[in-house]
Amino acid sequence: MGYLRGFAVTFRQIFQRPVTTPYLIGKGPKAPKPERLHGRHVLNRYEDGMEKCIGCELCAGVCPARCIYVRGADNPPTDPVSPGERYGYVYEINYLRCIHCDLCVEACPTEAITETKLFEFSFTSRADAIYTKDELLVDEAGMPKHLPWEDWRPGEEEFTSGWVRATAPAGDASYEGRVGWSGELGFGVRAPEGDQESRDASGSAGRAS
Amino acid sequence: MADETSTQVTGELTITLNGTQVDARKGELLIAAAERHGVYIPHFCYHPRMRPVGMCRMCIVEVDTGRGPTLQPSCMLECAEGMVVDTESDVTSKAQDGILEFLLINHPLDCPVCDKGGECPLQDQTMAYGPGESRFVESKRHHEKPIPISDLVLLDRERCILCDRCTRFAKEVAGDPLIHFINRGNHTEVNTFPDEPFASYFSGNTVQICPVGALTATPYRFKARPWDLEQVESTCQTCSVGCRVAVQSSRNEVLRYVGVDSDPVNWGWLCDKGRFAFESVNGDERLGEPLVRTGGELRPARWSEAIASAAEVLQSTLTAHGPEAIGVIGGARLTNEAAYAWAKLAKGVLGTDNVDAQLGDGLPAEVVLGLPSATIDEVCAPGGTVIVLGPDTKEELPVLFLRLRHAVLNDGVRLIEIAPTATGLSAIATASLIHHPGETAEVARALVGQPGLGTDAGGVNSAALEVARAAIAAGGPVRVVLGRASVAESVSWTVEAASILSSIPDTSFLMALRRGNVRGAIDLGLSPGLLPGRVTLDGGRANLSGLWPTVPATPGMDTTAMLTAAAEGHLRTLVLVGADPLADFPDRDLARRALAGVETIIATDTYLTGSSSLAGVVLPAAGFAEVSGTTTNLEGRVSVLSQRVTPPGTARSDWAIASDLARALGVDLGFASVEDILTEISSAAPSHAGLADALASSSDTDGVVVPLSGPTPADALLSFTVPTSDALLPRHSYSLRLVVGRKLYDEGTAVHHSPAMTNLPVGGALRLNRYDFDRLGVAEGDLVRVIAPALTIEAPVVVDPAVPRGSAGAWFNQDGLCAADLIDITAPLTVLQVESLNGQGAGS
Amino acid sequence: MSNDDGILNAGLEGVPHSVLTAPLEELVKWARVRSCMPATFGLACCAIEMMATGGPHYDLARLGMETFRASPRQADLMIVAGRVSQKMAPVLRQIYDQMVEPKWVISMGVCASSGGMFNNYAIVQGVDQVVPVDVYAPGCPPGPETLLHAILTLHDKIRTGELMRRPGEGAGLVIEQRDGQVDTPVTLGRRGDTPTSGLIGVERSAS
Repeated sequence: MGYLRGFAVTFRQIFQRPVTTPYLIGKGPKAPKPERLHGRHVLNRYEDGMEKCIGCELCAGVCPARCIYVRGADNPPTDPVSPGERYGYVYEINYLRCIHCDLCVEACPTEAITETKLFEFSFTSRADAIYTKDELLVDEAGMPKHLPWEDWRPGEEEFTSGWVRATAPAGDASYEGRVGWSGELGFGVRAPEGDQESRDASGSAGRAS
Repeated sequence: MADETSTQVTGELTITLNGTQVDARKGELLIAAAERHGVYIPHFCYHPRMRPVGMCRMCIVEVDTGRGPTLQPSCMLECAEGMVVDTESDVTSKAQDGILEFLLINHPLDCPVCDKGGECPLQDQTMAYGPGESRFVESKRHHEKPIPISDLVLLDRERCILCDRCTRFAKEVAGDPLIHFINRGNHTEVNTFPDEPFASYFSGNTVQICPVGALTATPYRFKARPWDLEQVESTCQTCSVGCRVAVQSSRNEVLRYVGVDSDPVNWGWLCDKGRFAFESVNGDERLGEPLVRTGGELRPARWSEAIASAAEVLQSTLTAHGPEAIGVIGGARLTNEAAYAWAKLAKGVLGTDNVDAQLGDGLPAEVVLGLPSATIDEVCAPGGTVIVLGPDTKEELPVLFLRLRHAVLNDGVRLIEIAPTATGLSAIATASLIHHPGETAEVARALVGQPGLGTDAGGVNSAALEVARAAIAAGGPVRVVLGRASVAESVSWTVEAASILSSIPDTSFLMALRRGNVRGAIDLGLSPGLLPGRVTLDGGRANLSGLWPTVPATPGMDTTAMLTAAAEGHLRTLVLVGADPLADFPDRDLARRALAGVETIIATDTYLTGSSSLAGVVLPAAGFAEVSGTTTNLEGRVSVLSQRVTPPGTARSDWAIASDLARALGVDLGFASVEDILTEISSAAPSHAGLADALASSSDTDGVVVPLSGPTPADALLSFTVPTSDALLPRHSYSLRLVVGRKLYDEGTAVHHSPAMTNLPVGGALRLNRYDFDRLGVAEGDLVRVIAPALTIEAPVVVDPAVPRGSAGAWFNQDGLCAADLIDITAPLTVLQVESLNGQGAGS
Repeated sequence: MSNDDGILNAGLEGVPHSVLTAPLEELVKWARVRSCMPATFGLACCAIEMMATGGPHYDLARLGMETFRASPRQADLMIVAGRVSQKMAPVLRQIYDQMVEPKWVISMGVCASSGGMFNNYAIVQGVDQVVPVDVYAPGCPPGPETLLHAILTLHDKIRTGELMRRPGEGAGLVIEQRDGQVDTPVTLGRRGDTPTSGLIGVERSAS
């Protein structure tokens, strides 16, 4: 009667909670995501509405997939787009090349480009995959633009800030392991993560949901 | 004098560099000797082409000259026997570290927006030698962000580290000391004098040599970052000096030219026109598709239609009127390969010898090729005498001007200038012989004549002539820079003067011709009576049998003769290869009549110009940076041109157009690539024998001077005979002799289609000496009535002290008063009458 | 163009669209959406995510596509998961050709979509150079949720699209002959009986 044992296993499972993520069941909720997940980018603004991007092309220079195209231009003196002399006149990311490595976020000297946690998007045409500055830029309230082929859920606008290492050029030991978050228009600044040791001790990697 | 380029290095000595015994030359700077032996000493202010000043202190190293090691600036220290140098000691690094920390105290860290960021010596050396962090916590100095110091250059004083490079360049090299340090101490800054812009023809060089981003160029501002740029080395074709440039592009758009230090030619300098003309490569109005005239209007057509229609015109002209009814003008814009292809098409396929690359403003090919030639280095060699008998080099050949200026000021070269007006060189010339227009030969005759005659010649007083004679007599070779000082007078006087000067022993000539590759075009046969390789029709016929289907029997017409024949209806078809006679031919009236007189014009050009818009077929050509090949500069130096971007639309390279036209006429030119043509040139042109191999094996990029192996056989060379020169004109007190020179910035294609330079042309006005002003009873800026042989117009007059009494100056190809309207090419010298508009006659 | 050929000559393509066929069409589309069996085409790291999508956490079976078919004859959907090397391209095309109509392609991940960071001679710069792609999933690799999103997008496409690709204007491409070549009409797309019955008929401009 050994096969009954097999049936018993199956029978027991009927009363277990399914492990399957509810995503898709009537477009149910998404699975929780790690805090530092690299999703689609946003271009940030300062509180006064000025764009943070200065068109320096460091992100384009560091991008291993060469998916970013930036061109700078002179800020119009009467109606400046960003603080300083230069602003990003063209900013495009090709999501069919981007590998979400976040090097652009690390390279950005003004924390202008950061990544959201949105990763549920797909395209039916190549042209849709090239995000222009209009599509990447957050609005005056700091909300990313929602595009028809993206699956945004309420509350997901938060946590678009970039995770940045606090660095001292000379490698000052007192800075070691300290990380922080860039400011997020409309949401303030998240509390920094603890350093590596304390996180290892608590054994949690921190979850955003 | 410590300038490396001019110091006579004599004697060898030994120094100890980082523990190794190395040789050094006497008088050599320590920094240069170290660099030669592969030890890089960081520096900001030191530049090998300028005098050292020791401003930045970055190059201090530990030097022991027997009194114990001390820190000394290596750019101010000449090598001495037994010197012990340590560039890597702890003391040296601590000093470098400290200097950089000081330099960075006031230097803003706006590298992300700075155009220099990524190629900045300060950035690089801070990374390599500098401190990791600054102890400076106070606020940095602030200035107004970039202030325009000229139309082309912006100054950001915050970033300046006071290295003195730009100011030294302006003063020492360019001779335009328009920028200088002002204020003291912490407030020291570089700036222009109040209300006086940095209007130098060489201002772009300061942007290139600035070791920080303090000086930036308007046309390049925020266009790209250094890491997006792709670069290729090429040769500038804006004028015939042939400066080596690095063409830098991003995303198939040329964004910048940077001067490359080529020792025999440009020493790293460029003129602003050459440097900023890149904008015209990207111009919106570039021709991108062929145009064919249908129903009286130029309409876009397909290449096959355009080529077929051009070939049909040529074929029908050949059948009905013979090859003599076809004329080909232009070719100085082309590469050598394209020039050869067009020569083969015109002379070898069409069979016409009416081919001329010069537009009536150059020298006859016999003169260019028949006189002994000198290179720029030979002209500028220390100890010689240079006679400049030609155009204002500062306006037409700016980098040659820099070389001449350096030779005169630093190498003891004596410079004699023979010109109808004062030029950029007058101030430094040993003798400046400003003569009456049309009396050049008289001055030359007086110059080689017996000293001590005490008579004036051609309006030059005897004292000045005596100084000039003494300069020639002082010994050393005599080098003549020969060109057309004024296109308003007949070339025969210049030719006669050249032949007189050639009687001086040890004399050779540098041809100051206009247009990029005019020398290459002449060398490769785009001149009447010539075949590729500097040979006559008879001399070269045997060489070309088998390669060319035919060779013209008798010499044809030059541009002036062609246009005259066209105006009279003898020329049926005119092919304009990148030529615009309406803008560039000295006599616009004749050009206009000629273009109206021919049946069909076929034009290849990069832009639709005044002349090509009259054409029946316009074929779009690929321009500079869009084609590869070779070019020849005024000394006969062949250097390599490289392609960096693709031409707009379907524009093709000129050799391919020639090849297609030949194919449509039923002849295969036999070229599939630029290399094929270069190989054929090497075998077909006697003066260019072995060129392809020489270029391929040359270790540097300076190019090679043709002919490679001595002069071509004498019988094949053009014989140079002195023409019977036009008789001297009687002088009238009531008339003014016209002198027409050129300004660097004119209404030509390169300037007109470069937005940054469109404001720079000075505009046309009649320039008179103040003496003549008083005589005519007019005031500066007044409108006067100008009575020229062909027409009477009203034009403004301005005072120009450079113009001598009795002459009237006008610039060529400027807005407003256009000199080409005034010139009558049939007269040996154009004479004007000027009347005040308020009723008083001239000179009465 | 070929609708009047009739059902005998052109098969289902010859059936005229009418009020009667509309519900049938809906039914067929519904069936296709519910059983879109993918062919196994894992090429690199994306395949791991594709397998994860098939596992219990994401459970592709909910979408009626529980089995990755090893035979192209039994598959409707090709998920190109990973970078396609130049040598793999003909194989991929062959598998695609062996799949029976109707068939769809999801280009999973940036390498399949555009070469991604492998912008070099070895990798096909976008699998759409080889096969027609219906949906592109970005990411390196796309997570299972991104792939699920792509599959849902594809479902939408199947549901709202036409029952079959009707022959017609094609892509509207006009290819001009290079000068000097013989003037012959150029047709892009599937080979058909006549030059105009192809999937994408390219008609020469009247010149």
